[in-house]
Amino acid sequence: MKALDYNTGQKPVWCPGCGNFAIWNSIKKALAEAGVEPHRLALVSGIGCSGKMINHVRAYGFHGLHGRTMPVATGIRLANPDMKVLVNGGDGDGYGMGVGHFVHSMRRNVDLTYIVHNNKVYGLTTGQASPTNDVGSPSKSTPFGVVDEPLNPIAIAIDAGATYVARGFSGDSEQLAELILGGLNHNGFALIDVFQPCVTFGGKYQYEYYQERVVKIENHDVTDADAALKLSKTKDKLPIGLFYKAEGHPSYNEMHPEIEKAQVRKRDVTALLEELV
Amino acid sequence: MSSVYVWKIGGPAGFGIMTTGPMFAKVLKASGYHVHGYPEYPSLIRGGYNCYQIAFGDTEVTAPYKKIDMYVALSDECFNREMFEEGTYVIGDFANLKNAGDIKAKKIDVPLMDIVKEMDGPDIMRNSVALGAAAALLGLDFALLEKNLMAAYKEKVAKINVDAAKKGYESVKERYSVVCKPSPDKCAPALYVTGNEATSIGAVAGGLTFFSTYPMTPASSILHYLAKCTREHGLVVKHTEDEISGINMAVGASFAGARAMTGTAGGGFSLMNEGLGLAAITEVPIVLAVSQRPGPATGMATWTEQGDLKYIINASQGEFIRAVYSPGSVEECYKFTFDALNLADKYHIPVFVLLDKFLSESHFMAEKMPETGEVNRGYIFEGNEEEPMAYFNRFTEKKDGVGVRVIPGTKGGLYIASSNEHTDEGFVSDKADVRKSQVERRFRKLKPLTDDMPHPELFGKKDAPLTFVCFGSVKMMLLEAMKHTDKFNFIHFPAVIPLNWDKVKKMLEGRNLCVMENNYTAQLRGIIAENTGIIIEKTFLKYDGRPFFNEEIVSFAEEAAK
Repeated sequence: MKALDYNTGQKPVWCPGCGNFAIWNSIKKALAEAGVEPHRLALVSGIGCSGKMINHVRAYGFHGLHGRTMPVATGIRLANPDMKVLVNGGDGDGYGMGVGHFVHSMRRNVDLTYIVHNNKVYGLTTGQASPTNDVGSPSKSTPFGVVDEPLNPIAIAIDAGATYVARGFSGDSEQLAELILGGLNHNGFALIDVFQPCVTFGGKYQYEYYQERVVKIENHDVTDADAALKLSKTKDKLPIGLFYKAEGHPSYNEMHPEIEKAQVRKRDVTALLEELV
Repeated sequence: MSSVYVWKIGGPAGFGIMTTGPMFAKVLKASGYHVHGYPEYPSLIRGGYNCYQIAFGDTEVTAPYKKIDMYVALSDECFNREMFEEGTYVIGDFANLKNAGDIKAKKIDVPLMDIVKEMDGPDIMRNSVALGAAAALLGLDFALLEKNLMAAYKEKVAKINVDAAKKGYESVKERYSVVCKPSPDKCAPALYVTGNEATSIGAVAGGLTFFSTYPMTPASSILHYLAKCTREHGLVVKHTEDEISGINMAVGASFAGARAMTGTAGGGFSLMNEGLGLAAITEVPIVLAVSQRPGPATGMATWTEQGDLKYIINASQGEFIRAVYSPGSVEECYKFTFDALNLADKYHIPVFVLLDKFLSESHFMAEKMPETGEVNRGYIFEGNEEEPMAYFNRFTEKKDGVGVRVIPGTKGGLYIASSNEHTDEGFVSDKADVRKSQVERRFRKLKPLTDDMPHPELFGKKDAPLTFVCFGSVKMMLLEAMKHTDKFNFIHFPAVIPLNWDKVKKMLEGRNLCVMENNYTAQLRGIIAENTGIIIEKTFLKYDGRPFFNEEIVSFAEEAAK
């Protein structure tokens, strides 16, 4: 498979310069390298600009509802173990509305790769602050500055039970593709939080903002959860790369031996009925 | 109304009423009686007042009564809650019951606690002593009680409970004679089953492979029942973080090829609304078992109502078709759940099985479950090996508005299930012609779907002076009342939408109609008026959280028919 094979021919509707283009390219590259055939790939999207990825990657697609990607993806993974599941969502989708599903999916260690397009803003609804926006930032819904503390998805993921936790930057699509590939090859829940500037409504959070602050993770033991947690709380710099990777944890499907027997067919319920006589 | 005898046990939650009641019903059933069990309980783990009523007789019994013939009082609270007539026999440990002094009933004094203490057993064992006493008064064969106690408890505990029951049995037999022994008809061995059990078993029979939800009374026991079936019958059952996840997970599983269902009560269904619309526009088959209880919001968590009919029919934004079954018996719960799974797969729509607390949690006798058809998954794309990467026109009409379904993993079947309006391949589109043709195609399913739904049926004598019109579980209450008066017949709706309303109209015309519903606003009446133009003026409505009791129906019918 080649990256180009995953194109669908649909013309992207993202703004010129949008960070989503880099994520798109990194996804296709990672899929090609992992050798995932399109008919074995279930792509799940939420609502928002990130959700439009569904139209541009050749795969079985499920374009769900705002904040609800995780349960849909879990259902697909449990019902059809032959499918590779890749989820795209935004920071509003996954860390705002869907934060409950996000946390519970990680504690279940569902075997999927979850890419969160994190631009700290609601782009498609024209510029309200998202849960990752910093205190003080003005936005359409917070004209006098955000007062809520930002949510730290990396720390939450490590703590909640995700077994592969990374952060990428759409200004570095090479590294991003590697991180996605690592997620696709990982057996368990892989979160890839991506700094992805919204060039139209992102305010100060543009490429320059991130380029000045991002720093690649080096000399870090990815199996050390405490060290990863500490790293996730770095204030002055924004580390990108793999924070945490735990091996040997059973994924969600492995915890459900009944899946192998789950077949749609008429069942004989005589024994069940006899118990009620 | 003499041939039906009513036995009841009451006491605080935590006293084992809900295991003792159904167990004693099985003893009566084994003795040859027809039985019906009706539980009432508050939303509490300990304390409050739980009771379980068994109405039994020599012909089929299907609904609860106001009268009580024999009552087992386990605490003083019973005397604040129940009305006793002079003829009622009350079994109690009267040395320990302070409030019982002035009751009119005939007291059957059994030293429950003394017997328990003497045997060095736990307090809860008083239930078994009381059952022994009741069995003696009713002239039941002790061996049948013994057998059912042995089946209900683990071996060690079972033995001591049998001994306790024996003491109760003998204590009464020495001092009192048999008070009632209507000759049992020796009915055939039958199931003693709740609506939720029948619904669950219908789902297992129908090839269900995925069930996900969050527990909510009175639907929780569907989750519990199916969860027990997972390993042996090969189905995935998930208790999710909330109902939103429950329905979305089921939709995801169904998209991926599972036969999926969720189950909840009105409050949980409120959270499922957006997922319902998602299933509709993505045309992912899904079955929803919704058991009604009084609302809004938390309402009365453990009581019954039929207040969600209009909500179920209208829930979610936008316009789309759905099917709503409203089973009136355990047999219909079983069959309609089986059929609902097929119907969802055939038309790629959401299908409801609408229950209520009375039907979900009451016990009914059923000789056997009805025959069903075969599992039918509808049109499924088999794949195209030549072009594995190709997109497929999933949303192009094959027949009757229905497209061809693809199970992900199939070569050449790529498509997108999108919550947005979409093209035939599922790509997002808001072009006017795409929208128009997709809406029209989806609604073309309506006609054949209507033909697949069960039609309302008339029960009773054709020329009765009054015709009740009802849906769901009220059927059971009316069948019972029909044994006591010939003043009415009734039309039951086993499904509410979609229906052939021309046919319904013909059926309703020329009758003295009265809607009978467990709600305040007569919701079925509204639906009938909207679809047929017939406005049924007479109403018989109940909305206090209780089902219609037999005596209430009989007196209403006799008054109305005057």
